Amino acid sequence: MLTIEGLKKSYAGNDILKGISIDVNKGDVISIIGPSGSGKTTLLRTMTTLEEADGGHLTFAGVDKDFEKLTGKEVNTIRRNVGFVFQNYNLFNNKTALQNITEGLIVARKVKKSEAEKIALKALERVGLTDRKNHYPSQLSGGQQQRVGIARAIALNPEVIFFDEPTSALDPELVGEVLKVMQDLASSGTTMVVVTHQMSFARDVSNRVIFMADGHIVEQGAPKAIFEKPSEQRTKKFLTDILANV
Amino acid sequence: MENIKLIINFLGQLLPAINITLIVSVSSIILGSLLGLLLAAARLSESVVLRVLASVYVSVVRATPAIIMIFVVYYGMPMLFNDWFHTNIDGWNRMYFVIIALTVLFSAPVSEIMRSAYESIAKGQMEAGLMVGMTPFQTLYRIILPQAFVVALPNFANSVINLLKEGALTFTIGVVDMVAKAQMIVANNSGGYAWQTYCALALIYWVISLAIDKGVSQVEKSYQAKRKTIAV
Amino acid sequence: MSLNTDFMVKVAQTAIQGVPVTLQIVLVALVIAFPIGILFALIRIYRVKGLQRLVQFYVSLVRGTPIIAQILIVYSAFPSLLNMIIGRAAFAINPIYYAYIVFTLNAIATLTEVFRSALQTVDKGQMEAGLMVGMQPRQTFWRIILPQALISALPNIANTTLYLIKNSSLAFIMSVKDITAIAKTEAAFNYNFLEAYLVVWVYYLIICYAAEVVFYLLERYFSKYRRPIKKTSGFNWLPFGIKQPKLERKQS
Repeated sequence: MLTIEGLKKSYAGNDILKGISIDVNKGDVISIIGPSGSGKTTLLRTMTTLEEADGGHLTFAGVDKDFEKLTGKEVNTIRRNVGFVFQNYNLFNNKTALQNITEGLIVARKVKKSEAEKIALKALERVGLTDRKNHYPSQLSGGQQQRVGIARAIALNPEVIFFDEPTSALDPELVGEVLKVMQDLASSGTTMVVVTHQMSFARDVSNRVIFMADGHIVEQGAPKAIFEKPSEQRTKKFLTDILANV
Repeated sequence: MENIKLIINFLGQLLPAINITLIVSVSSIILGSLLGLLLAAARLSESVVLRVLASVYVSVVRATPAIIMIFVVYYGMPMLFNDWFHTNIDGWNRMYFVIIALTVLFSAPVSEIMRSAYESIAKGQMEAGLMVGMTPFQTLYRIILPQAFVVALPNFANSVINLLKEGALTFTIGVVDMVAKAQMIVANNSGGYAWQTYCALALIYWVISLAIDKGVSQVEKSYQAKRKTIAV
Repeated sequence: MSLNTDFMVKVAQTAIQGVPVTLQIVLVALVIAFPIGILFALIRIYRVKGLQRLVQFYVSLVRGTPIIAQILIVYSAFPSLLNMIIGRAAFAINPIYYAYIVFTLNAIATLTEVFRSALQTVDKGQMEAGLMVGMQPRQTFWRIILPQALISALPNIANTTLYLIKNSSLAFIMSVKDITAIAKTEAAFNYNFLEAYLVVWVYYLIICYAAEVVFYLLERYFSKYRRPIKKTSGFNWLPFGIKQPKLERKQS
C-alpha cells in the first residue's frame, strides 16, 4: 500500500538517512526502534513530506514518483491520506479538544460542521475523552492531550497513521493510557507506523519490527524473531542494553 | 546628490550642539539608574507601604507623556521651591529641569528592569549560594548581580535609547540643543531646506542609537563567550 | 502653594474638546499600522529577499530617531511634496492628517517588531499539525498561528498604544488642536502654565489607564484557552496596572 525505496536525507553535510526502503501493507503495525540519533524521526518526517527528502521513490495513494519531483498537489494528496501523531502532541492551542478534531475535517476535507462534530465525537469516544470535548489543551494532562492527538488523526480516516515517539514526552504514569489506545487501534486493523522506545509495544502489539542505526535499516522482521534471535550484533547489543535498564 | 551635500553641511552645523544632548542624557541615566535602584529595592522590600508607593510611582510615570513631565517640572519646581524653601530657583540653568524630568521618566522603567532581572535570577541562586556557605551579601554581589546584569542589559539599552529620544524635547523649554539649533537653521533660511535639516538631525540620533545597540551586543557576545568557555 | 483653581476648572472644560482628537490620532494610527505591521513582520520572519532589508532599515530608523524629528521631517517635507501633486491645496490640508501620517509610520515600526516576536513564540509544531490534518499553510496561518500570535502580542500592543497616546501629545507642534495644544493656548493668556499642564497630565493619566483596562480585559477574554480549568482566583486586577508588560527587545 505504501512503498518507499532508497530514501535519503542529509542536514548540513551529515547523512541522516542513507537509503531506506520500507513496505507498508494494509493492516500492518510496524514498530521502528533504534538508538537515538539513528534517524527514526527524520524517516517519519520525510515519508510524510513534513521535511523534504534528498532522494528516494514513493508509491502511495496513487502517487508513484521520486520524492524530489513531488508537486504541491501530490504533497497534498499524501498528507490527506496519512495521519500523524506528534511527540509533543501539537494540539492547536487555541481550539478545544473537539475543535482540534473538526478543524481538519471542516477546513481541509470540507465536511459540514454538524457532520464533522459527529465524527469528532465518535473519535473522542474511541480514546475515552467524550467528557473533555470542550477543554482546551492547556486544561488537559499530557496523556489526555496525546489521546486527543490520536483522535484527531483517526477522525480523518487515513490510510496509515504515523506515530512519532508518542509517549516519550509523557510522565511515566501517563504512558499506559496512551499505549492502551494505540493497542485498541492496532487490534481494530488500523495501519500504523510507530517510532517508539516502548519495547513492550514493539514486542507485543506490532507485527513487524524495524531496527535502525546510523541511517540504515539494520534488521527487520517479526517481533519474536527480532527480540529472541536477532541476527545482527548491533541489534543484540541495543536490545540487551535497553532491556537491562527496564 | 544636491540634497546629500546639504544634509552633510547641516550635520556640520548641528554637531556642536550635541554636547547638550550628551550632558542631559548621561546625567539623567546616572541619576535615573540610582533612583531606579532605590525604587526596585522598595518594590522588593518587606514594607507594604514602600511597595505600594513605588508601584504607584512607576505606574503614574509610565502613563505620563515626556513633554508633560518636562513642563510640569519646569513650571512647577520653582513654585514649589518658592513656597516650601523660600528659595528662588528661576535662575537655574534650564538644563537642570530637563535632567530632573528625564531622571524621573527613566527611573520607572529601569526599576522594573532591575526588579525583573533580579527576580529571574535570585531565588535558586541565592539558595545555592547560601548552601555553599556564602553570606547573603556575598551571594548577591558575586553570584546574582553579575547574572542579573546580563539579563537586564538589552532592556536597559532599550530604555537608554528611549531616554535619548525623549531628551530631544529639551528644546521645548528653551535650551539650545540640536533640535533647537535645527529650527534656528531653518528659520535663518526662511523655512528653506527644512526637511534636509531635520534629516541631518534624525541621522545624528540614529547613529547614536545604532552605536548603543552595537555596544550592547558586543558586551552580550563577550559574556556569551565567557559562558561557553565555562561550559566546555 | 497657590494654584489658580478656577482657571484649572476652565482649562479642564476646554481641554476636554481635545480628547477626541488625541483618541482619533491614536486609533487611526493603530488601525492602519496593524495589518501593515503583520505584513512587515512576515517579511522579516520569512526573510523575503530585498524587502526584508528594507523593513529592517525602516524599523531601525524609526526606532533610532526621536518622534520630534520624525514630526519635523514629515511636517516640512509632506506639504511641499503634496504641493507638487495637488498644487496649492496642499497648504490648506487639516494638519491632523500629518499627525495621522507621522504616528502611523511610527506605529508600523513598533508593531512590526511586536508581531515579529509574537509570531515567533508560536511553536512550529502548530504549523506541522495543521499540515498533517490536510490544511494548506495559508489556512493554518490564518486559523491557528495568527490568532495565537495576536493574543500573545496583546501586552505589547497595549504598550505600543500607551506610547502612541503619550507621543500624540507632541501633535501640537504640527498645530493640531489636541489636549496639549488647547491647554497651551489657554495658559498663554495669563501665564498659568503649571495649572494647565497639571490638568493635561490628569487627562493623559485617565486615558492611559482606560487603555490599560481595555487591554487587560481583552487579554483576559481572549486568553481563556491558556488558563487551567480551575478558577485560580476571582478578579485579580490591580488598579494601577502594576505589571509592566514585557519590555521589547528589538532587532537581533
